[in-house]
Amino acid sequence: MTEAVAPAVAARGLTVRYGREPALLDVSFEVPAGATVALLGPNGAGKTTLFRAAIGLARAEAGSISLASRRIAFVPQRLEIEPSFPVTVADVVRMGRYGDLGWLGRFGDRDRELVEGALGELGIEHLVGRRFGDLCGGERQRALLAQASAQDADIFLLDEPFAGLDAPTHAAMQGLFEQWRDRGRTVLVATHDLESAGRDFDLVLCLNQKLVAFGPPSETFTEEVISRTFAGHVLRVGSLLVDTAHHHHGAG
Amino acid sequence: MDWLVDPFQAEFVRTGALAAAAVGVICGVVGSYVILRGMALMADSLAHGVLPGVAIAFALTAGAAGSEPNDAALWLGALAAGLVTAGGTSLILRRSRVREETAAAVVFVLMLALGVAIVSRVQGYSVDLTSFLFGDVLGVTDTEVLVSCIFAVAIVALVAALYRPFLLLSFDPQRAAALGLPVERLHLAMLVLVTLAVVIGFRVVGALLVLGLLIAPPATAALLTKRLPTMMALSASIAAASAPLGLLLSWNLDLAAGASIVLVAVSSFVLALALPRARA
Repeated sequence: MTEAVAPAVAARGLTVRYGREPALLDVSFEVPAGATVALLGPNGAGKTTLFRAAIGLARAEAGSISLASRRIAFVPQRLEIEPSFPVTVADVVRMGRYGDLGWLGRFGDRDRELVEGALGELGIEHLVGRRFGDLCGGERQRALLAQASAQDADIFLLDEPFAGLDAPTHAAMQGLFEQWRDRGRTVLVATHDLESAGRDFDLVLCLNQKLVAFGPPSETFTEEVISRTFAGHVLRVGSLLVDTAHHHHGAG
Repeated sequence: MDWLVDPFQAEFVRTGALAAAAVGVICGVVGSYVILRGMALMADSLAHGVLPGVAIAFALTAGAAGSEPNDAALWLGALAAGLVTAGGTSLILRRSRVREETAAAVVFVLMLALGVAIVSRVQGYSVDLTSFLFGDVLGVTDTEVLVSCIFAVAIVALVAALYRPFLLLSFDPQRAAALGLPVERLHLAMLVLVTLAVVIGFRVVGALLVLGLLIAPPATAALLTKRLPTMMALSASIAAASAPLGLLLSWNLDLAAGASIVLVAVSSFVLALALPRARA
């Protein structure tokens, strides 16, 4: 096992600030290709910032984050879109192909196959003609994941894809991530769901501005790590400081 | 049927209708992105931001004896001032954390005040200020019609070529960035297109009302369709049809021409709202 495989995602001393507020402090880790990783941490822990830095939307003040491939599918946490935005579900999934196609490339058979495949994977063939803005939350989430799937990316960055999903849909999504992983893709999922993080993922990355722990669930899921990840978390509401540590889901 | 035919017997009405229809096509297509990206205030800011450029061009090219200003200079002045407005707003946004609408409003009032200040120093501009604000659709020259038509074709071609990046940017800028698109440059390109629409449009319907052609037809189209290409085609058609219909209204009821065109465009929105499928 001496072959030097480049990590799919590598952060080295990554530090990002918004103004003076630190979002990420000196975060270093290496994710091997073909792994599913749960990104765990309270609100404001820097999960979204980590993704934004990875795709070049947040500037690293120090250190770096590098991805082994430019083929990145990013599904943001919440898409603020007007309900009247004129795209159908089919249009949304087709958009996943635009990165490869460029401005004017012809939409070919392979593109159609990938789009059909993605619609099937997410079980939303029956929604293709619907206006995206008319869908309910779970259906939208599936359409966006189908878009990511159609992109045929090497690295998936998914920001809280389980938010608002019922249990069967959650399980189906998880199965999909594992299929992607089995095809050699790397899947990073930001989540609040401790239970699923400990049960369903190859690796868990515990973040609270600093890296608290990173490794397989068996090693990272200690009471000490979880309490350090979620404790001492302070939410700023205007000038009020609210300690949210006590509000967080059952860590112990 | 005289009321229908009479107005278009006059050549200046036909010329005006053609120019306004070309402007309609431009505004209908570009305006689709204005409403999809929530840039209405930015578009309004651009519409008024062109004033100092127009005033400077007027001061430089219109003689003291009251000779006519140079049309090309007015256009270039308007374009330059529009680009300063767009660039200034982007600069403020990049350097600070103010909201886009605040940045746009600050630049908008700066340019407007600057324009009025320059106008106050230029003799004989008061008449032209009226045409700046309210347009002069029945006074457009053949050259202006030609230029408007050429721009209409060029802008439609450009928007078609940029369909995919613009759609991605409008749908979700973060995903567009993840796909490696130059998000900031595309946004600037969009602002330049809106500026062009404004610069070509203000001669016809005026800087106050060009926003009406940028917003009402695409807003109408958005109520009636669920796909962007259809929306843009419909929006351009509505805006273009508003030109002859507006002039018809203007001629028969003796109303201001530019305002009549915009009234027709906005009426289409009100009518579409009444349709059952438009209801939320």
